[in-house]
Amino acid sequence: MHGWLKGAMFVAAAAALIVAFLLGSLSSTSQTTAYHAPRTADGKPDLNGIWQAVNTANWDIQDHPARMGPVVELGAAFSVPAGEGVVVGNEIPYLPEAAAKKKENAEKWLSSDPEVKCYLPGVPRATYMPYPFQIFQTRDTILIAYEFAGATRTIYMNSDKKSPSDTWMGWSVGHWDGDTLVVDVTSFNDQTWFDRAGNFHSDSLHVVERYTPISHDALDYEVTIEDPKVFSRPWKMRMPLHRRLEKNAQVLEYQCVEFVEPLLYGDLRKKP
Amino acid sequence: MRDGIVVSVAGAALVIAAVFLMPVGAAEQAQSKAKPTSAPDNWTLPRTADGQPDLQGVWDYRTITPLERPAELGTKEFFTADEAKKFESDENQRQNRDLIDPEVGGLNYPPGGVIPYNEFWYDRGDKLGSQRTSLIVDPPDGRLPPWTPEGQKFADLRAVSARDDQLGHPHANSWEDRPLQERCLVGLNAGPPMTPGAYNNNFQLVQTPGYVVILNEMVHSARIVPMDGRPHGSIRQWKGDSRGHWEGNTLVVDTTNFKRETNVAGTSANTHLVERFTRTGPDTLLYEFTVDDPVMWTRPWKAVVPTLKSEEPIYEYACHEGNYAMRSILAGARASEKAEAGKKGLK
Repeated sequence: MHGWLKGAMFVAAAAALIVAFLLGSLSSTSQTTAYHAPRTADGKPDLNGIWQAVNTANWDIQDHPARMGPVVELGAAFSVPAGEGVVVGNEIPYLPEAAAKKKENAEKWLSSDPEVKCYLPGVPRATYMPYPFQIFQTRDTILIAYEFAGATRTIYMNSDKKSPSDTWMGWSVGHWDGDTLVVDVTSFNDQTWFDRAGNFHSDSLHVVERYTPISHDALDYEVTIEDPKVFSRPWKMRMPLHRRLEKNAQVLEYQCVEFVEPLLYGDLRKKP
Repeated sequence: MRDGIVVSVAGAALVIAAVFLMPVGAAEQAQSKAKPTSAPDNWTLPRTADGQPDLQGVWDYRTITPLERPAELGTKEFFTADEAKKFESDENQRQNRDLIDPEVGGLNYPPGGVIPYNEFWYDRGDKLGSQRTSLIVDPPDGRLPPWTPEGQKFADLRAVSARDDQLGHPHANSWEDRPLQERCLVGLNAGPPMTPGAYNNNFQLVQTPGYVVILNEMVHSARIVPMDGRPHGSIRQWKGDSRGHWEGNTLVVDTTNFKRETNVAGTSANTHLVERFTRTGPDTLLYEFTVDDPVMWTRPWKAVVPTLKSEEPIYEYACHEGNYAMRSILAGARASEKAEAGKKGLK
């Protein structure tokens, strides 16, 4: 082989490596820098819209195979679809006692899951339940209205106001980190779960959410979960959220209280 | 300041989760400032970035102005300043549950009845919203119009039910016998339309391009109002189906498609509701609504509710989650039946 050809091949191979490296670093650092989101009047990325997760995280935030549902009569209509987890690395670092509690929750799912009773779902579960939610973004206040149970939460931007008590949906304080809306959520009670698989937390839960537009119709949603009473270290979930594109899309009412009254009070109804 | 505590009270299923945190001093100051008809000279209506009147913030609609004018006031539409002061003093005395002897009765409680809450739990305000003698401004007598025969039927049923509650014999064969607000399906003051009630009389308005949201503290109810001119849909909801537009500087919200009755004085699913929100000063917003429900009433009626800016946030009113009282009411009714059956058995 001619010396010049060898040299040219070397240069080409090196160039290919460099290109591959650049592409790799682009996709691994984030998809976020590539997309420039439209702005609101105050110059922030515009997150207004109706959004929904398209995944099976509400069934189980970790990897899970398909399995039969809990109601024989519902057969294939209400069995559990398989799904790849949304937990980064798939491992949840439970402390030993908490791991036992998670197992017990999973076994007693139907009688213990707060979702079954139409209770406010907490954060981040509200985000990836199979219902849409709508973001209303203003400079000082961002309101999120979830379809499930009519849950709502207000994100106070750059606020130092404190929650007066613990809550189901948490107390949310937000700020912008470049094109990312960062929401720090505290003041939770210990009553909500992360999914139907019994993943849970205590009242020491601290959630940090990051919402980053990655296209006109998608957000990257990353959540850091910290709870020293339940987990040995912080861990993360990550998933895309999708814009509902239907013309006249709306968040409708799912006032589920009346659907659970027979379950919660049926034993006390007057017998005929 | 009062803090959020979950209570269940025998005889009343309402559950208070996180409530009323407006400092009393601030509330009084704000209420005495209310002059909803005249804006300060140096005030200009703020506008959102897209040029709409900016109505955003938390609005407090506590008042002791009655929905209906007390019959003895006849055609008197306004109090004088002195009369207003006297009315406030008398009404605050009359409403104070701690001053009612259950054996004697008082307010609307019959002798020998049950007073469901003591005064600590109320946050109805202690001022008139204006010098008006009633929130209802039309019909001109300040009172609800005559019922239709159908409306009368429901009004009679509600009256019997309310009286039996007050006598300590609640209708409770099932949860379905209890009012919607006790079941936490709707807030007792959230309507729509919103009418001042016992506590949590706050709503927040949020405006984004194309939408207004009316967030009621009770029961964490976000009414999403599209402003893009789309027609009403066909899906019935507890909160109805609201569409909004601007008429000058007034936000007009038109609502139909109610699922069932709301809790306001007997409106039916057939109600056509028109609400108007007008900012009248830096700290004042006038809320007006017209109810047109030909199933229940022989003519439409209109009310005007002055509201005041609040610096407090909206809190989470987790009603259903803490509704221990529903089980207690039903269990109480079953226990009464058992006791009754036992007595009969002895005869």
